[in-house]
Amino acid sequence: MKNKVFMIILTLVLITFTALAKTNITCSGSTTVLPIAQATAEAFMNALPEINISIRGGGSGVGIAALMNGTVDIANSSRPMKAKEITQAKSKGIQPVAYAIALDGIAVIVHSSNPITNLSIKQLRDIYSGKISNWNELGGSNLPIVVISRDVSSGTFEVFNEKVMAGAKVISSAQLLASNNAVATTVSTTPGAIGYAGLGFLSNKVKAVTIENVIPSEKTVKDSTYKLARKLYMYTNGKAKGAVNDYIAFIQSDAGQKIVQEQGFITLK
Amino acid sequence: MKKIIWITLIGLILSVQLYCQELKITGEMWNRWTLENGKAPGDSSNIILKNYFSLERGYIGLEPKFSETIKGRFTVDIFSSDLIKDGAGLKLKYAYVDFSHLIPVPDLTTTVGLQKVYFGTIYDWSYDLIGKAPSDEYKIVSSSDYGITFNGYIPKGWGEYALGFYNGEGYKSYGVNLKDNINPSLLANLRLTPIQGLTLGGSVMTNSSERNPLLSNNSPNPNYNDQLLFDGLLRLAYGPVDIWIEYINKDVKYAKDFSHKDYTANCLSVFPTLKMAKFTGIDFALLGRYDRWNETDNPSNPNLLNSITAGLNYNFMHDESANPAMQLQLNYIVKTYDEDESSSQYANKMKDSQTLLLQYKWRFNNTIKL
Repeated sequence: MKNKVFMIILTLVLITFTALAKTNITCSGSTTVLPIAQATAEAFMNALPEINISIRGGGSGVGIAALMNGTVDIANSSRPMKAKEITQAKSKGIQPVAYAIALDGIAVIVHSSNPITNLSIKQLRDIYSGKISNWNELGGSNLPIVVISRDVSSGTFEVFNEKVMAGAKVISSAQLLASNNAVATTVSTTPGAIGYAGLGFLSNKVKAVTIENVIPSEKTVKDSTYKLARKLYMYTNGKAKGAVNDYIAFIQSDAGQKIVQEQGFITLK
Repeated sequence: MKKIIWITLIGLILSVQLYCQELKITGEMWNRWTLENGKAPGDSSNIILKNYFSLERGYIGLEPKFSETIKGRFTVDIFSSDLIKDGAGLKLKYAYVDFSHLIPVPDLTTTVGLQKVYFGTIYDWSYDLIGKAPSDEYKIVSSSDYGITFNGYIPKGWGEYALGFYNGEGYKSYGVNLKDNINPSLLANLRLTPIQGLTLGGSVMTNSSERNPLLSNNSPNPNYNDQLLFDGLLRLAYGPVDIWIEYINKDVKYAKDFSHKDYTANCLSVFPTLKMAKFTGIDFALLGRYDRWNETDNPSNPNLLNSITAGLNYNFMHDESANPAMQLQLNYIVKTYDEDESSSQYANKMKDSQTLLLQYKWRFNNTIKL
């Protein structure tokens, strides 16, 4: 009899704790995806208070490594996973599944006083590799170019590197900054500066130049005419389930995509 | 001599800084306590054979990034132990450059210099157990060697591959230990990951010893031999369970039968791991390993070894990707030689042993943008 009573009480306690316990979702990775993840998580948690979402940055590579180590539910990435990463994940029993959550263009930005309005990919490569070092070589003012880049752990850097640099070395004097915000701020305060950042980080303090005469915009990113366009991803181990699936589905829904747009990024549809 | 080494190292660091855009500095130290029991010659009772503290490995590495497609790696191993003459030593472990766009194949890297040997598990052996990879433990191949390799990943995560041309002598050989051989060692390695958690791999490598099958007077060289090495690998990983099964075969053929006879040796190794972090919230793992090394066919050194290892790893000080900066490892290894299949020096159990190892590993890295 005593045992039965004990078991009933224990069961009730467990049920109560289970009901009161919050479902936790952890994600980390890309600093570009960070504002989307934060804003959508806030809206999602407001609608479903029993779910708690914790988000960290660190860069796409950091998030993917954490997913492989099994310590996060979602890896945020501003680039597709590399063959090496997928192989290593699969051999560890992790099946990375990609969910596109937004589109983004990497905007090339200069100081608002800079008269340059357009650059070709080749000119951009020459600037970042140091072959062009003064704006007057491009028809601008006689002003040394201050090259601002992202740090190497960032997915934005990797996409820029792949689409622009094509194997060329970024000039050693380039300032490598840790976030899109830092790039935008530095460019806004440095007259000779050039940098690049996700569209969501543009403001009237900097000027975005056209690339190959194509302006970075929702239309040009969606129709792929803008050369520096990309998808932003969330990766899960296997097909997303439960609360993780609900969260990603929310981001991909109309309500979630509205938040994506509010953050300055481009919707999937 | 030490002065020359330090001046060379400092010179290399400074010159690398002039040319590279980024320099990663890495370090990994293995502080170990070893307690080994066994039978000493002429004594039938078990006694303590070894009991000492050591710095088994002290890897210091520089990884300069010259461009997005050209990266280097320079690693030295500074070690210290009572067992070594002078109490300490220094070895050059890696000194190579990776060119990732030299050949226009996606995810293919051409590596030149003193580098990894892509055979079996030796090139990505993570020392989750204190013991070496089977092909290293039984002296089948060296963990690094001078040469050129073409190594890469199959798109979409289907696996990895490598083709290599090496000296075949390894990085530790010197003076009389060199095989005095002019033939390169050839290697092919393929690993496939058809589905998550399943890895299938195979390596084949040729090697040879001594300079020429014939001596200067055209008579056969009794020490010359050709080696053909095979490795088959199966890895199963599901949730907290990770099992590696490796089979290695070594065929040795001499120029002509003299005192040396052709022979075949093989090894079966099973290495399971159970990660406990999901169950306990603490990052520790239980590990085991069983090796059967069969060299009974070698007339000059017949032996059949059964080796069992039990281990426990505790990982702590994790970085933001959850990789531990520190690890405490406890291993117990029992090595037993088969009396009937082994030569007298093994059969009298002089080489049977029980070893307790406690190791504290710590690693660091920092990237300097130049």
